[in-house]
Formats: sequence, structure tokens, C-alpha cells
Amino acid sequence: MKIESKGECLSISEIQELTAANSARFRDEVQFALSGSPSVVEINLSQTRFMDSSGLGALFALYRATAKRHGVVLRLLNPTSEIQQLLELTQMQQLFEIVRR
Amino acid sequence: MKALLICPAIRPAVPHLAADGPLATTPILGDCFVSHWIENLTGLGASQIQIVASDGADRVRAAVGDGARWGVRITVIACNVEPTKEEAASRHNPEGEPGWLPAPHDIVPMSHLPGCPDLPLFESYASWFAALLAWMPKAMTPARVRVTEARPGVWVGSRSRVAPTAKLIAPCWVGDQVSVAKDTVVGPCAILEDRTVVESGARVTQSWVGPDTFVGPMTSVENSLAWGSSLIDWRTDSSLRVPDQFLLSSLARLQSVATTDRYGRSLGTQARAETNSELITTLRARLDRGSNQKLPG
Repeated sequence: MKIESKGECLSISEIQELTAANSARFRDEVQFALSGSPSVVEINLSQTRFMDSSGLGALFALYRATAKRHGVVLRLLNPTSEIQQLLELTQMQQLFEIVRR
Repeated sequence: MKALLICPAIRPAVPHLAADGPLATTPILGDCFVSHWIENLTGLGASQIQIVASDGADRVRAAVGDGARWGVRITVIACNVEPTKEEAASRHNPEGEPGWLPAPHDIVPMSHLPGCPDLPLFESYASWFAALLAWMPKAMTPARVRVTEARPGVWVGSRSRVAPTAKLIAPCWVGDQVSVAKDTVVGPCAILEDRTVVESGARVTQSWVGPDTFVGPMTSVENSLAWGSSLIDWRTDSSLRVPDQFLLSSLARLQSVATTDRYGRSLGTQARAETNSELITTLRARLDRGSNQKLPG
């Protein structure tokens, strides 16, 4: 996983999978990076092949954390078709701005 | 009168439909595909039906038996390659003998549902779903006694339980022994096959849910074919194996029972689906625990 801060944008990418095995670390590292007060958080899911409910829970935690900070935009970039299906199944696509670039 | 059915072999466009057995035995609105054709041909006057199966002939034979269920004589013929209609005619009725149903009902390639020749089933998942929706009103044959039309466009199995606050929007089909919990939305254009469990707050629209499938609470199955833990978006053909059982999973445990005759010769493999009540109990317990947990963040 790669976390980069570009100006006011916090970019998280190279996530191969988000499961019970790594979701806690993902959540902690992104929460720590949020202390830099970015105005945009972008999670690139183009390489994510597998996600389970723990991964969805980590995304939801991030959603709540950014919702507390008014004005912070949270985006999911280019989710794979499988992840898109999982987001739709759990109705979580309603929470996030999903962007394809 | 005689008739011959040609079962479809594997179709690369719809691999998931044949994951648990040949396409001829795929469940469609409460019965398997080949059974719908037998019922149709029987209604047209067939008394002897030959079935040519190039994929899973044993499973087809196990599904249809000897035809006693329909009052006809059925023979299942195994072959290596799915024959065309012309090849089947030259092999099984080369002289054009009398005593066969009139064309086109004499030799029928099972590429569509009875009465819907313009709606091919196996060209894509989208075509399969469209064909099922179009055929829904025609599925209510006189032999169908366990499903009734509760109101126009809404069919419900007589042994199904639908919560009073569940919303069934026409057209939709709720098969036999289905459980639809409170505050769910089923339809429009939804098919729940037999023994499906849809938990509270779930939504099933523009979708087909296969038999013995658990749809978890608050989940949304849209534009999809859901069978067991497989979820296929019929618009894009994208497929997903859902990792968490409390979202979407199979309630059936397929038990392969090898059967032999009295001389010890194998009669093939018979598949039997058993509803796994233990799994339902475990899932419900997990869901109850989950609802009491604090979400992180």
C-alpha cells in the first residue's frame, strides 16, 4: 500500500487486497495520515482484487472519520468490477463518490 | 407420438449457469429447464421422448427419470458432441417415419424456453435473464399447483412466507418455500427461486436469485444473477464470489451419492440438495452479534 500527500490531496494506492489480514493496518495508517488535514482523500482501488467485510469496515471507518471533518471529500478511484459489485451489494456505493479516470 | 430434445452442451457465454450441473438441469422458475420442455411436449401430445445429452447425461437422467411423472416414456441418450437439429434427425428419424410430433416440435434443440423461440437463453447472461422474465407468465401451467398468482404479475409459492411489511412489486416471482423477511423489496423484475431466504431490509430488483440462496440483511441485489455466493452482473458479465456468508451464500449442501445397480455397475452420480439449517442458525447468530458491535471510527 502506498500513501502519498500531494498538496491538499491524500492519495492511497497499490492496495492489492483489503481483508481481515490488513484492514486494521490500513485503517490506522490512513487515520494517521489524516492528521495532516487534507481536503481530498482519494483511495485508488484499481489494483484491488479482493475485499471482504473487514475491508468494507475499514472503508466505512474512513468514511466516518472524514465525515467528522467538514469539507473533506472522500473518493474511491477506479474500483475493479468485482469491488464495484461488492460496494453495490452492500449499498456502500451510496456513501462514497466513485470516480473513474 | 414421438419427440426428441437436444440438450445444450457447455456454452462459453454463460459458464456460471453450468457450474453445478449441465445447462439442461438449470433451475428455472421452480423446475429444471428440461422438465419445462417435457411438460410442453407432453401437452402437445408426445408419449415417447428421447433426450440427447452431450453434457451430464447422468444428471439429466436423474432429473427426469423414466418420465412417469409426466405419464410419458423418456429415454436419455448420451453422446459426445451436441448434434445439430439436422444431425439428430438423420440419426434418430432418417426416414421421416410417421408417429412423430409435427415440425418444429418433433426435434427440438433446447436453446430457448417453450413458446419463446425469439429469446435465446444462452447467448449472454442478459439474454438469459430477459428470456426468464418474458417467460414468467407462461410458467403457470396447469401442472403448477404450488405457485399461485397472488395479484397481477406477482406469483408466490404456497409454502412461502412473506412478511406483511415486505414489498412485492410486479412483475416478480417468489418460488416455493421462500422466506421474505420484513421491510424487503422484491421487484420489479425479480425472480426468487425455491428455498431462497431474503433477510430484512434487503432489496432484489432486476435480478434472479438461484435456489437455496441466502440474501443477507440490508443487501442490495440489483441487475444481477445471484446463486450461492456467486454474484454476476448480467449487464457487464462481471462476476464475484462474495467472501462473507452473511451477505450472500448458499444454503444447500450438494451431496454426491454414487449409485450402483444390483450388478454393481455405476448408474452415475445423483445430486441431492439439502437445506442446511445449521448454516442459517449460525448466520443469524453472527448477524445478531454484528448488530450489537460498535463500528470502528
